[in-house]
Amino acid sequence: MFFKSYSAKKDGAIRSFDLHSFRVKLLIICIVVICAIIAFVCLFPTVWVFLASFKDIREFRREVTIFPSKFDFSVFVKTWNDLKFIKYYINSLIMVVGCVICSVIFNGLIAYVLGILKPKGHQIVTGLVMWSLLIPSTTSIVALFVNVNRLGLSRSFIPIWLSYGANAFIVVLYKQYFERMPADLFEAAKLDGCNVLQVFLKILVPLSTPIISVATIFTITAAWSDFLFPFLILNGTGKETVMIAIFSFRTSNATDVEVLRAILFSIIPPTILFLIFQKQITDGAAAGALKE
Amino acid sequence: MVKANTLNRNNKTKFKRQDLVGWLVMLPSLILFAFFVWEPLLESIRLSLYSAKGIRLQEFVGLENYIRLFRHPDFLAAFRNTFLYIFYSLIIGFMVPIVMAVLISETVHLKSFFRVGVYFPNIVPGMATIMMWSFFFRPGNTGVLNILLSKVGISPQVWLNNPKWTIPLIIITMTWKSAGSTSLIYMAGISRISSELYEAATIDGAGIWQRVRHIIVPSIFSLAKTLLILQIISVFQILYEPLVMTNGGPNNASISLMMLTYNYAFRDFNYPMGAALSVVICAILIVLSGIYTKLTKDKE
Repeated sequence: MFFKSYSAKKDGAIRSFDLHSFRVKLLIICIVVICAIIAFVCLFPTVWVFLASFKDIREFRREVTIFPSKFDFSVFVKTWNDLKFIKYYINSLIMVVGCVICSVIFNGLIAYVLGILKPKGHQIVTGLVMWSLLIPSTTSIVALFVNVNRLGLSRSFIPIWLSYGANAFIVVLYKQYFERMPADLFEAAKLDGCNVLQVFLKILVPLSTPIISVATIFTITAAWSDFLFPFLILNGTGKETVMIAIFSFRTSNATDVEVLRAILFSIIPPTILFLIFQKQITDGAAAGALKE
Repeated sequence: MVKANTLNRNNKTKFKRQDLVGWLVMLPSLILFAFFVWEPLLESIRLSLYSAKGIRLQEFVGLENYIRLFRHPDFLAAFRNTFLYIFYSLIIGFMVPIVMAVLISETVHLKSFFRVGVYFPNIVPGMATIMMWSFFFRPGNTGVLNILLSKVGISPQVWLNNPKWTIPLIIITMTWKSAGSTSLIYMAGISRISSELYEAATIDGAGIWQRVRHIIVPSIFSLAKTLLILQIISVFQILYEPLVMTNGGPNNASISLMMLTYNYAFRDFNYPMGAALSVVICAILIVLSGIYTKLTKDKE
């Protein structure tokens, strides 16, 4: 029965021994209904984009309905080709892959040094990294942009890739994970004649796959969604990413339904990633903040 | 612990080389942090004290950029709006994730669906979220909210074009996107409460509401304090929403400090003014975190 499974309930104020009362049962049903409404509100806008992008522009302007009159997937193919979306997907892909590589290598190395090697004076760097966790990066975007231009690095992916190699949040994530590993492991490897980098590659990386995959997933979604810095660096170079593209469609002569389809194209890859890794993502989202 | 300490002491003389190796390993990462995070903060201050043509600095002008900044009417509008954003985000956005977390924690059926469902908006890229909601808030017959309203017989609204509604509506968009991920953090906090606490409270005669009030609320209180300051810091930097949804309008009703920075630096290419405003934002944020730390320390 519906209420039977509540005897195994672990969280929250309503306990299994409350169930004998009719009012509690009513309350439980109300809560489920409210949660369903909340989930509906969270999912509806995206579902609407999906449904509305089946409409053609006339139907979109005239018919005030939620559901389209027909479901024809060829309109998506047409918009995909008309807007040359493949180019933006490839650009985004190039950007995301580079960002993930930089994020894993550079944040991993600094976390390895701060969490395990701990050379003299590492506390200063740890302090600076923790401090940069609090200072929002957007406040220094003007100076960063000027610096990148002075070095002549604008109009290329390089500064964006490298910017993901300096992510304090991921450094802290790695560091906490590394610090919980048994120190004997590294001593043993050292006695076997591994040098510092070999310990990193042969011991640390294989043992850290869970945290590396969490960091990778977060970097992928962050890089895919990143807008301001890529926009400033890449706009007008032919290397525009998907986010830059949909931003510029807003003011271009693309029709409303084409913009909607473009929005949908930009949502699909992270959604697929989320459907595959939903457990890692929802668990990681909660864990990251709780560990302080 | 003792063993580790003596080990360290024994090695102290030999450590020099190892220290150097450690620093060399993290040198590339340090350079990246310096270039992308630390140096720009100092560079902002330097830039703000000069006049410039494009990215080339012309001459030292002292605090002139700051004076021009404070005298400009846009600054006052942006300053006031940014605090309005924070005000509304505290009213609308702060309680929503807590309520969601408490409710979803009480469910058994469909619980993982609810968790995934409320987190989903966080996966939708920020730019897509904003453009999606622009369609919802569109005035006239094709706006989605107006379609929904017309079904219950209410006439179309102008939504974002009404200056009184602009900021609250933008905050609703932000809350829609971020409430789910915040509520997962609260849910994790609630699930760490020991069930003995509830049982003991029930024996003492506490009803369900009293258990929520006296067990769940106190146990997530410190979490809520941390998340509150994080929320204020993130709302303080609001940029994409006014930039895309309203372009700061109507009549500067939604322009934020970060958007003003964007306008100075990347619309007018006046980098020193943009840098000066960045420095002001940074300073306000530091003051805010200072007040926060002081407040929480006094209570303890």
